[in-house]
Amino acid sequence: MSYAIAAYGITGLTLGIYLFLLHRERKRLAAADR
Amino acid sequence: MHGSDAALLSRLVRWRRPVGVALAALTVVYAWAVGSAPIDSVQGVIQKILYVHPPLAYGAYLGFVLTAFGGALYLWRGREAWDALAVAGAEVGVVFCTLMMVTGPIWAKGTWGHWWSWDPRLTLTLLLWFVYASYLLLRGFTEGVARTARFAAIYGILGTLLIPLNYFVIELFQGRAVHPDNLQRGSLGSGMGWPFLLGNLTLFAAFVYCVLLRWEVEMRRTRIALRADALAAEPSR
Repeated sequence: MSYAIAAYGITGLTLGIYLFLLHRERKRLAAADR
Repeated sequence: MHGSDAALLSRLVRWRRPVGVALAALTVVYAWAVGSAPIDSVQGVIQKILYVHPPLAYGAYLGFVLTAFGGALYLWRGREAWDALAVAGAEVGVVFCTLMMVTGPIWAKGTWGHWWSWDPRLTLTLLLWFVYASYLLLRGFTEGVARTARFAAIYGILGTLLIPLNYFVIELFQGRAVHPDNLQRGSLGSGMGWPFLLGNLTLFAAFVYCVLLRWEVEMRRTRIALRADALAAEPSR
């Protein structure tokens, strides 16, 4: 059980953090690109 | 920068929203489907990693194919937007490949009893990861937008030669591979098809969303860099 939870947890968390960082970078660049 | 890049940028923003909504909805249904999927009689709950591990692998392959596609279009047309697509494909592909190489060993530890084996599929996957992680690193070491893009395009196209080899290596090594065979029609147990399909759809939506976002980031970075270069080249008055 804990192996499956670890696999899904790591995947969800990593993709979540990656998307958060991408959104933040996009916002910063959009302001600089104006 | 190409004149129609502003139009492409606004199209990327427009496409991203519905993909984001679809991703959010799919994630809810996917979580429910994985939770209610039947428990495998041999492996137990750990077998549910099946609904995330292969979809991550397909996302990684797709990202690297996108890198070659963007690189080829850049070499043909010379438009920076295609080079930006190649970068987006490589980075999202490396993220998916990394997660595939994390979920795989977790599954291996629970079933084989060890995290890693120098099996042909695992070794080639590690090589594939190194090739595209290096692609991202090497881009940072070469100077000049056009020179970097040309070099990266050729490298990215050559890298995809590893993808069919990675996929078919188990069949090439007939029976000597530790990694299970590629999934075939009918190889999933009863009740496992839907969660697997939903896993593929959800991770595909996540892949598209990440690529659209990363593509926009790279296009804006290139635009800002080219504008700064043009300003620096202007003779001072």
